[in-house]
Amino acid sequence: MIRLEAVGLRVGTFELRDITLDVPRGGYGLVIGPSGSGKTTLLEAVAGLAPIKSGRITVQGEDVTNRPPERRGVGVVYQRYHLFPHFTVADNIGYGLMQSRHLKAERQARVRELAAGLGIEHLLERGVRHLSGGEAQRVALARALAPRPHTLLLDEPFASLDPATRQDMRQLLRTVHESHGITMLQVTHDFDEALRLGDVVAVMADGAIVQRGTPEEVFRYPNSAFVARFIGAANVIAGMVTRSGSVGTDTRTFPAEFRSDSLALDVIADREGPAHAVVQPEDLVLSRESHASSARNHLAAVVLSMERAGPLTYVHLDAGRRLLAAVTTQSAETMGLAAGDRIVATVKATAIHLV
Amino acid sequence: MRRMRWGHLLTAGLGAVLVLFIVGPLLRLLFRASPAGLMAAFQDPELGQSIALTLFTATTATAIGIILGVPLAYLLARTRFPGRRLLQGIIDLPVVVPHPVAGIALVLFLGRRSPLGGALAELGLEFVSHVPGIVAAMLFVSAPILVSGAREAFAAVDPHLERVARSLGDRPWTAFRRVTLPLAGRGVLAATVLAWARSVSEFGAIVVITYNPKVASVFVFDRFTSFGLGAAIPAAVILLLVALAVFALVRLLDTRELE
Repeated sequence: MIRLEAVGLRVGTFELRDITLDVPRGGYGLVIGPSGSGKTTLLEAVAGLAPIKSGRITVQGEDVTNRPPERRGVGVVYQRYHLFPHFTVADNIGYGLMQSRHLKAERQARVRELAAGLGIEHLLERGVRHLSGGEAQRVALARALAPRPHTLLLDEPFASLDPATRQDMRQLLRTVHESHGITMLQVTHDFDEALRLGDVVAVMADGAIVQRGTPEEVFRYPNSAFVARFIGAANVIAGMVTRSGSVGTDTRTFPAEFRSDSLALDVIADREGPAHAVVQPEDLVLSRESHASSARNHLAAVVLSMERAGPLTYVHLDAGRRLLAAVTTQSAETMGLAAGDRIVATVKATAIHLV
Repeated sequence: MRRMRWGHLLTAGLGAVLVLFIVGPLLRLLFRASPAGLMAAFQDPELGQSIALTLFTATTATAIGIILGVPLAYLLARTRFPGRRLLQGIIDLPVVVPHPVAGIALVLFLGRRSPLGGALAELGLEFVSHVPGIVAAMLFVSAPILVSGAREAFAAVDPHLERVARSLGDRPWTAFRRVTLPLAGRGVLAATVLAWARSVSEFGAIVVITYNPKVASVFVFDRFTSFGLGAAIPAAVILLLVALAVFALVRLLDTRELE
């Protein structure tokens, strides 16, 4: 369990403000945000490596705000591994067990067990200078796990790895997470990672958390254009909301029109004025001609280009504005979609998320 | 292509002049000493004493420099605090002070007539014309070398390594001992040897504060002014050999670092 309450700190000119975050015991939390948003500093605050100015940090039910890093039971894995260059792989992994309370045999057994679990047993006697990225990352992970931390912090653990190794490491982390029952908090700038791994996601920008929730919540309902763009919701359109009907005046939401240049969409809104409309690419339905359906928004569009990504095909459209739609590759082929085609893009009013 | 060749030749030629200018005088000095003269110099108890005094005072000054300077170097490498640059500047100051000027300043600061020198003299610690004066002069001129070198060695150790060590259960001192010191050790040692060599080669500040007892450089100078060039050569050669040995040692440490 990791809980940050209104944590503030300052490193040089950089500041973290009012950070509140809650990862349940055994949970997997993800902090995402662009580089320079303060993600790493946030991890270091949890580990006790960056002194905080205000607020409270609780780990595993204990207030550790004023505890030095060596007494927090929190492991850290950095993006650049930071293995000790003057030690072998085995001594790196065993580093946290060298304090007197561990017997030598016990220590060696633990190192061996971890190395076997992570598939790096054959590297134990080697130096660390010539390990591949994936190997070094495994050593760093084993080293962090050796003292049996209840909490593990991972700073962009996949960023320096090639895609295949990244996939392996992701799988490995999930296994580690499940089998060791460790609470994890991982920093990433990749929202896909958050969707795949996280129970809880916090989006950071400029030293503050701008949105928290489950990955699905954040992905479906980004609370700002920044979050929407950052997590890769492709269609983020700036425009103006005006009330269009008198229906439902007693509820919080009302039917409205969203207008951006020549593009007009029927939407369900809860306020008027300037807003961003977020439309997930898979919520845009493409057809050859307009047909009656419950969808109110039929947009005449021209196909600009197509991008095939395995079972999905991304279609770039011009509907007075650039839009991105995602269809299955199969239906793109059935429709015989090609660049230059005039088509109709349909989206339900309820699939348009206003922020 | 052709122009580049000429450029290379010119560069090489200019460089060669400088290299010869450095090597020439030293070789000439080494070969001027007659074996008989060297033997005589070795048997001269005064020269032996001056070399022993030099090694002793340089080692003492370096030891004091390590105790006072290495923790400071670590602080300068690792922490950001107001006035850090000013402090760094002060440490480097002796480099630009002409050595006799440093000697005069030390005499004024540590002489019997200054409050500090007077108080220390009461306790039996005299500087001017005494051995501690030599140590003080050596410390003054060698401290910048030691602190700067050690600071760079510490700065070259990624602070993340210390953070990882802390997260793995090390107290600050343990992390320093197990990670930072082994990794920075060679660089700190190289800085120490350089500082020691600087102390051995010092003349200007020492000659002002303590002419007698004579360190080796003062001894060579004294031979030169009292008895002329010929009398100074054997002592000069021996001092040069000591310096070369130290230099070779530093180079050895340096190349091991690069590998």
